[in-house]
Amino acid sequence: MRFKAAIRNIHTFTKLTGSLLLLSKVVWIRLDNDQVRFTVIPERGSQVWAVLSIDSIFEDYSVHSNTPGNTIHLQVSLTHLNRALRSAINATFASIRLTKKDGIPLLAITITTTTFASLRRPPTLEGLNERRLPSEAPNSTSRAEVDRGNDDSISFQDHPPAPFPSDRETTITQSVAATVLPPQSVASIHEPTCREPDVHILLPPLLQLKAISERFTKLALPTSSAATGDENLSTRLILSASPYGEFRIGVQTAACKIESKWQGLTNPELDPTQIEGGEEGVREHASTRQKNLTREEAWATVRVEGRDWGRVLGVGRLGGRVVACKSPDPFFEK
Amino acid sequence: MPILSFSLNLDGVIRIHNAVQCLAKFSDTVSLEARSDRLTMSTLNSSKSAYASFALDSSTYFETYRYNDARLSDQSQEGPSRFTCQLYNKALSSVFKGRLGDMREKETAAERCEVAIQDDIDNTECRIVVKMICKHGVTKTYKLNYESTEIKHALFDRNSAKNKWRIDASVLRSFLEYFGTATEQLDMYAEDGRIAFTSYTEKVMHGREILKHPLETSVALDTLDFEEFSVEEKMHVAFSVKDFRAIVLHAETLKTNVQAYYSLPTKPIQLTYNENGVNCEFTLMTIGDYPGSSTKPAPISVRGSSATPTGGRPSRQASLQPTQSNTIRGVEEKQREAMPPPSQPASRSFPRAPQSQSGPGSFRPESLSQRTSRPSPPPPKASLDPESLFLPAEDDDRQWDETNYEDEEDILGWDASGNHKASALQKLQTAPEEASRYESLPAWPEDSDRRIAPTQRLAEIETLFSQG
Repeated sequence: MRFKAAIRNIHTFTKLTGSLLLLSKVVWIRLDNDQVRFTVIPERGSQVWAVLSIDSIFEDYSVHSNTPGNTIHLQVSLTHLNRALRSAINATFASIRLTKKDGIPLLAITITTTTFASLRRPPTLEGLNERRLPSEAPNSTSRAEVDRGNDDSISFQDHPPAPFPSDRETTITQSVAATVLPPQSVASIHEPTCREPDVHILLPPLLQLKAISERFTKLALPTSSAATGDENLSTRLILSASPYGEFRIGVQTAACKIESKWQGLTNPELDPTQIEGGEEGVREHASTRQKNLTREEAWATVRVEGRDWGRVLGVGRLGGRVVACKSPDPFFEK
Repeated sequence: MPILSFSLNLDGVIRIHNAVQCLAKFSDTVSLEARSDRLTMSTLNSSKSAYASFALDSSTYFETYRYNDARLSDQSQEGPSRFTCQLYNKALSSVFKGRLGDMREKETAAERCEVAIQDDIDNTECRIVVKMICKHGVTKTYKLNYESTEIKHALFDRNSAKNKWRIDASVLRSFLEYFGTATEQLDMYAEDGRIAFTSYTEKVMHGREILKHPLETSVALDTLDFEEFSVEEKMHVAFSVKDFRAIVLHAETLKTNVQAYYSLPTKPIQLTYNENGVNCEFTLMTIGDYPGSSTKPAPISVRGSSATPTGGRPSRQASLQPTQSNTIRGVEEKQREAMPPPSQPASRSFPRAPQSQSGPGSFRPESLSQRTSRPSPPPPKASLDPESLFLPAEDDDRQWDETNYEDEEDILGWDASGNHKASALQKLQTAPEEASRYESLPAWPEDSDRRIAPTQRLAEIETLFSQG
């Protein structure tokens, strides 16, 4: 059983683990020839079933397994994986591979960085002079170009100030303990099936939505003296979306009723090639029927637990577009 | 007549605060030793596996320093007189608070500090009196009780420590950001021009517990990154990562180079640095494997001390040893004179049987006597550390984390970041026909001039509602 890959997009990988970490401490990673899947199934709260194409985070990817379908199932601590990846933020190169040490499988993340070079004392006078000399010439030529009214400043770009010469690299190896799951143990875990969504809508900026959601959740929570840290207390936020580009979030308590509404959002169209039944399937789809309703009737409404919703919105750190599908369960895709 | 009186400027007070903070990570007591030429703050941890000391030079560190040794001169024949006592770290840290130099509290900042230690057999009031002279004529006076004790200092023979390196503290500090929070040991291993610092945990876990096994982090860097490097290769030497963290965090406040001296695994390692009249020394016990018997040491990888980025060619400069850091060694030799000599000649390699030393000033690391034993520091709780060491949220990633709903601070959070100027407010208005659905609520202000500011107190919202 082997797994090896270079991490192509450290930023995305780190943010992904960071947002999953809010929901659960342990992630199930499924690696095969075509996809990487990250699944978190917390004891309570929202599940995440994330499917990534391999080249969105990895390159030079290789998986070898004896199991049918060449699949590796791993379980790792998200806390440690996230911490390990965060140390790669400034890396020049990072790779990940599955190894074994003292009988414990490990996901070893090897990070190459030259950042320590910048921490060192400023270069000696000699070094400075050497550095100045080559950059002197392009500066003067480009100034001449500006004088001539030529705004082509590319000559600046061609000669960026060379970083202080240092070919010394520091290698950081982060070893995250992992367990390899036998295929039969995960065979019975299936993604929950949802009813066909009534409405598809692109959510407003998630940071904004998250702040408002949390504000509402907090307002609706019983006063802290009564709560005394009881985790079972929950607040229901009411989310509604319509096929007319409108989205509402609200909360109702004995004392108050608050609602925020966005207009002019986008309702993405279904892609017939992705829908079972093609054009016919789209016509029969629940969301198509919803579109035929009037503006007042077309609202699809769900209730979500406020804290859990806030954690789910943490996925916004990935910066992607978010499609919410309104059905009995909210389900997200990046 | 106080036996010791000295005064400090604000900078000196802050640096004492930093030192006290660092000592607190080793033990909850601080030992003071006053001499005519220096004041030493030191501590030995409870398992006697780590010793930390800060020697403040009397002429450079203090504004004034007067050690009145008249009382003791007739009693002590063994060398220069000294006054020793011990007190709780908490007592000292509550006097030398970190906020003293804080710009936010400029109005009450201390300007200077005067300390007097009163120690008189005839006087029942034996106290350390600290006067903080603050702005606007405010003087805060603290009287601390102390316990008169003999102090144990760690003995460390640098001549027998043939491995040494020196590196900028900020480089070591950057390691800390990579290390997992719950690891216990830090292993050093040099090979092929690189040295690896590995933080790891010994615990063996089974089953589902494996996932809780702390992150093992190895940072390998080129020996050319060191100002000076002379270390035997292929030898594992490990010590407490918690102690390392405490030392490096303090060293970074002084922006200095940290120097390490060590010989073999299971022998102590000393980390020292010296800046602005503070001589910091830390002696830590090590564990580790030594390849084969100690009679045939592996080749020492030595590098010239003149480390220019390009021209650090490897050369054997074993003769460097006696010429360097004379000042530090000078201090230490004086220190050794004052203490009862160890029962074994100092010229032998490191004292092999620490148990046989019985002098009151000697370091008796009981946990070192067997090779297999190791210091067992309590698991560090770095995640709760207020001076958290780990990656700062450079790209305000934290705003995506879960909100603490129990947080009493009642602030409207939207668009507080200011990053979403364009998008944040444009769609927030409630449409007029929607507003009418809630008769009890006032309509959202349509006028853009009266739009609610991004951040406001709950109280302000209430006034807004009552107007409606």
